[in-house]
Amino acid sequence: MRNAWKEVTSYQELLGNLIVTELKLRYRESFLGFLWTVLNPLFFLLVLALVFSQIIKFQMENYTMFLFAGMASYLMIQQTVLIATGSIVNNQGLIKKVSVPKIIFPLSNVLARFVDHLALILILLLFMVYFRMDFNWSLISLVPLILLHFLFSLGFSLMASVAYIRVRDVQHILSIGFQAFFYLSPIIYPTGVLPKGMQKIFLFNPFYYFIQSFRYPIYHGQFPPLMIWSVTFFLTVVVLGIGLWVFYKKEKSFVFQLS
Amino acid sequence: MKTEKESIAVNKQQPAVEVDSVSIRFMLPHDGDSSGPGKKGLLARIKPSPKREFWALQDVSFEVKKGEIIGIIGSNGAGKSTLLKIIAGIFPPTRGRVKTQGTVAPLLELGAAFNPELTGLENIYLTGSIYRIPRKVIREQINNIVDFSGLEKFIRVPIKNYSSGMFMRLAFSLVIFFKPEIVLIDEVFAVGDEVFQQKSFERILSFRKKGAAIVLVTHDANLITQICDRVLVLSDGKASYLGGAEEAVRHYRHLIQGGEGLDAKRQEPPPEPESKRWGSKEVEIVSVDFADERGQEKKEFLPGDYFEACIRYRSALKNKKPIFGVAVSTIYKLLIYGPNTLEAEFPEDIPSSGVIRFIIPEIPLMEGDYLFSAAVYDETLSKAFDHHEKMYHFRILADKRKEFGSVRIRSLWKMEHE
Repeated sequence: MRNAWKEVTSYQELLGNLIVTELKLRYRESFLGFLWTVLNPLFFLLVLALVFSQIIKFQMENYTMFLFAGMASYLMIQQTVLIATGSIVNNQGLIKKVSVPKIIFPLSNVLARFVDHLALILILLLFMVYFRMDFNWSLISLVPLILLHFLFSLGFSLMASVAYIRVRDVQHILSIGFQAFFYLSPIIYPTGVLPKGMQKIFLFNPFYYFIQSFRYPIYHGQFPPLMIWSVTFFLTVVVLGIGLWVFYKKEKSFVFQLS
Repeated sequence: MKTEKESIAVNKQQPAVEVDSVSIRFMLPHDGDSSGPGKKGLLARIKPSPKREFWALQDVSFEVKKGEIIGIIGSNGAGKSTLLKIIAGIFPPTRGRVKTQGTVAPLLELGAAFNPELTGLENIYLTGSIYRIPRKVIREQINNIVDFSGLEKFIRVPIKNYSSGMFMRLAFSLVIFFKPEIVLIDEVFAVGDEVFQQKSFERILSFRKKGAAIVLVTHDANLITQICDRVLVLSDGKASYLGGAEEAVRHYRHLIQGGEGLDAKRQEPPPEPESKRWGSKEVEIVSVDFADERGQEKKEFLPGDYFEACIRYRSALKNKKPIFGVAVSTIYKLLIYGPNTLEAEFPEDIPSSGVIRFIIPEIPLMEGDYLFSAAVYDETLSKAFDHHEKMYHFRILADKRKEFGSVRIRSLWKMEHE
């Protein structure tokens, strides 16, 4: 951990350059540029909102905001991990030719994604204004919550990027897994759709806690309860810890395995 | 070797590079195994292919002091480039360790860190940050870098649109202005295509005066004796000699010529000529051969020998006069001489097929490998019919005279009484 911190701080200019490069290249040639990243999930969101509030008719107040809060949490993790899985393999040209701390690559991927996510959060706040949601101090909790999402995604990405070097199926497996969890988690529906006895099953789903953590300040206008804080914190520490451990254990072998 | 080591240890100056009993092992897929390294699927994982150990380097130790040039020489596959990559920090050694003091500029592959989508300017900053040059320093130097590269007009163009020459210029200019304290040069690095490179190469060597440590990998014995303070001879991944350049080269020659059961004729293979060919083929160069005065085909000459290049061509050209040209360059791509038939007063109409002979009655080149280009252009020298850029190779062998350099200039010595 201390090792990682030292590497990152001594290469922070490179990290900055890689993030800027990634964002710049992604948007240099598209007309609406930066907007696309935001518009893409936004359209998906609006379609879902339309289908479930107008056609299937969930009996819920402000269904759009309920959906948006859950989606924001899910997208933060899903989009980040899927992109960062390839971070080592996609930079193999660089890894085989120059000597830089390898953690820079997944980290820059994850950070670049979070720049996009911050834009999404801004739109989310605009939606809150539009739907006249309750603006109060609980929104402050979004700051540590986003940080937890970031660190959790980073840990997850570190593991995925290492696995991807040797097993290229990882990307497909992850993508299917995320899709499954999108429907298995209470994102488009409230936990109440299941009978009372079955609702406990959500407690075994790590995404459940992250999704709920966003809903408290955004949808309910409340600080998340201690249970949510402690579980998300615990999950983040475990995943990031394992991620760093695996990454640094395997780091030296990267250059031999890339081909 | 022992005494050499001790004498360095006594030296008070701290070494810039310390290589301490370094070994590296590669796991190679076993011969005859169908699942090559390209297969990265789940199946390949479940049934791991048997691996074979290969020790590319074994227990290699040496130091490079500040201001010193160390040459590493050895035949192909002896582990020279691997050793450079370990010093550069790209390969982690399996055993032993490497310590470096100061910024390392590995010139293993030029522009390795460039992103083709970014502009020249953006790439300068990106590469700078890879070598941990503070942004501030680059900003101060940026005008010098751009000036030196001569790419002012293109500096805001993505480098995917650069020619290979422009790419090289940018890469070189960067290294020169970053003033590295340790420079690692692989021979292939010096092979590019312009005089500009030779200039830059000399410039990099001049860093030595400012205290930079330089490690140079090559199999050009001539170059080694000219510029290196000490030389490490690698043989099958082991250090077989470390010491003065002349001694080391002698040792190396002995090694490749007989010492290890190789027959005397089998020298190291000639450098791969960089095959580049272009042109409209209205006149086509069919073959280029080298020969002596009896027309005997050969590839090795002695200094002062008769040298002839026979350029066989086919022409579909009518009423136009093609110009033939040749060029002789060193393997470091320094152009030595590039004449053409504009001076030759050839007739207006050339036969539709034939041989052009380029003759040097006494070749003034000295020991080394040389690259030969042949080309045919239109009369204005602006349109290439067929250009064979450095596609051919010949070698000049050593004669008995104790001289240095690559060109024998006709000269005299005189002594007079005052």
